[in-house]
Amino acid sequence: MANLSVEICGVKFKNPVIAASGTYGFGREFNEVYDISQIGGISTKGMTLEPRVGNPVPRIAEGDSVILNAVGLQNPGVESFIEKDLGYLKSKGVVIIANVAGKTLEDYGKICARLNGLVDFVELNISCPNVKAGGMAFGIKPESIKEVTRVSKNSLTKTPLMVKLSPNVESISVNAKAAEECGADCVSLINTLTGMVIDLERRKPVIANNTGGVSGAGIRPIALRMVYEAAHAVKIPVIGMGGIASGEDAISFMMAGAKAVQVGTANFTNANAMPEIISQMNAWLDGHNIASVNEIVDTLTLNG
Amino acid sequence: MKDLLATVKQNVEIAENIYKMTLTLPESAGELLGGQFVNLSTGESAQLLRRPLGICLADGKDISVCYQLKGKGTKSLAEAKAGDRLKILLPLGNGFNLKNAKNIAVIGGGVGIFPLIYTMRKNSDKNFYMYFGFRNKHAVCLLNEIPKCKELTVVTDDGSYGGKGNALDAFLQSAPQVDLIIACGPPVMLKALKSALAEKKIDTPCLVSLEERMGCGIGACLVCTCKKTDGGNARVCKDGPVFDINEVNL
Ligand SMILES: Cc1cc2nc3c(=O)[nH]c(=O)nc-3n(C[C@H](O)[C@H](O)[C@H](O)COP(=O)(O)OP(=O)(O)OC[C@H]3O[C@@H](n4cnc5c(N)ncnc54)[C@H](O)[C@@H]3O)c2cc1C
Ligand SMILES: Cc1cc2nc3c(=O)[nH]c(=O)nc-3n(C[C@H](O)[C@H](O)[C@H](O)COP(=O)(O)O)c2cc1C
Ligand code: FES
Repeated sequence: MANLSVEICGVKFKNPVIAASGTYGFGREFNEVYDISQIGGISTKGMTLEPRVGNPVPRIAEGDSVILNAVGLQNPGVESFIEKDLGYLKSKGVVIIANVAGKTLEDYGKICARLNGLVDFVELNISCPNVKAGGMAFGIKPESIKEVTRVSKNSLTKTPLMVKLSPNVESISVNAKAAEECGADCVSLINTLTGMVIDLERRKPVIANNTGGVSGAGIRPIALRMVYEAAHAVKIPVIGMGGIASGEDAISFMMAGAKAVQVGTANFTNANAMPEIISQMNAWLDGHNIASVNEIVDTLTLNG
Repeated sequence: MKDLLATVKQNVEIAENIYKMTLTLPESAGELLGGQFVNLSTGESAQLLRRPLGICLADGKDISVCYQLKGKGTKSLAEAKAGDRLKILLPLGNGFNLKNAKNIAVIGGGVGIFPLIYTMRKNSDKNFYMYFGFRNKHAVCLLNEIPKCKELTVVTDDGSYGGKGNALDAFLQSAPQVDLIIACGPPVMLKALKSALAEKKIDTPCLVSLEERMGCGIGACLVCTCKKTDGGNARVCKDGPVFDINEVNL
């Protein structure tokens, strides 16, 4: 049995496998399939200050080795989370990462202040449109990443800040550095890529929202490249995700520089994906006589 | 709820473009209720989403689903051979709660008949008045699996089998005295059912099973939302797929 425990920003994880935001709710449903206390952590469904009803359906479509989603941040609001879900997640002994979103800088400041000291991390979803900046996502330009990181960090005096980077950008390295410079304690990536799938008969996009976020196995090489670039641009820890479906996938992200990984779409393909990934990582490490998962982090050497 | 690796026992075309697949589970999945469904992998690794299919027959560790060819996923399923292994997550959803209703009208259109057949088989102590509609005689299937009913009416859109018409009209014409109506079928049928009940001031309780595109199938991802009449959202996979017809917008 290899040692799978990792520590990020002073927070201990029993293993580096974290449920990705939006694919795992607040954990209760997957706990009907297996005991979720086995996994390293949970990034919650993206939360806003007020409850949101989300987009019309269909909200999901399938492409080759990918899926697209446009849920539109349906969520019960941060107060409901604190009242109904936080205690449950605490009882499960998993690291709790509150994924949050806002329409304005003030929203981010307020929601971070509300969660300060209550959870293990706050993860900023900055792929949402900034209402005051004409609807362009906060996460696209380094300047707006700096602003939203600064505002959030100011509210988070007790809880480490994880900034989740969008891949729909000019330079992931520049954006990772922007987050680091303004107080991010760690970064996670990648959020979904923007895509479209068309129903030929109806001559309309399948998803009601027209475009959706692309995730799943097909985005893995892109995600891996971006994780590598981000991990080599900043000193703060990097949490990698995008198409991870097996222990070997997880190991590859850690070799590229990630200290932990998140698993999203694979939970839909295989409800037991996370426990299986954990045991596959263990088997791989044992098979390579590696005592601790930390030993593989950032061990990639490029071809000369 | 379990995610199991099942073995395909049989996969045959039982009507035009409609297949029946029987899978043997490695272990029992517990009690399966009528109207519950499974999330079945298609066997094609590029298809990351499972396909939701109603439970049609269950016998010990054998469970059968019936599916109509629609797109890529059901095409992949149709290629599965005996001995192939597919992942199956089950049982999902709430199912039809018949409570203490004794006389029940069953309205099924197209692929909607499959979960209804299982519901009737599971509740053989009830009196069923059944109205099933198919596109044409080539689509008619599984009539031999329907348990004894007080009334059994099969119609087709073109009249090539049974009477001509649809399941809803057959029900309305017969107007059986029942204390519960259950229905499963295309959205247009359920919509028409809702308006017909309102128009004719029929206040018999009515349960309908809905369809929506799904991700997780267990209530975690919120992609399968339907709108409730009170303005809120419900998850078709977890809060449904069966709802009181007055509780949801159709
Ligand atoms: C609870 C429930 C029970 C069902 N039971 C049955 C059944 O017993 N027999 C049967 O033939 N069909 C049933 N359906 C519909 C069936 O799930 C779809 O026909 C099937 O998923 C189509 O897959 P495809 O890959 O061939 O089509 P594609 O259009 O290629 O599928 C693309 C994606 O859309 C989804 N999708 C497409 N149409 C539907 C739909 N109508 N409902 C939900 N998802 C859809 C697919 O699952 C897939 O993720 C049921 C649906 C639900 C929600
Ligand atoms: C249905 C669905 C909902 C998602 N919701 C959120 C969300 O609320 N907040 C967020 O930061 N990311 C959200 N994501 C993105 C994932 O957390 C993750 O970044 C992305 O899917 C890539 O990982 P994967 O390929 O393992 O799924 C969502 C993804 C999916 C598929
Ligand atoms: S499919 Fe995920 S909540 Fe229904």
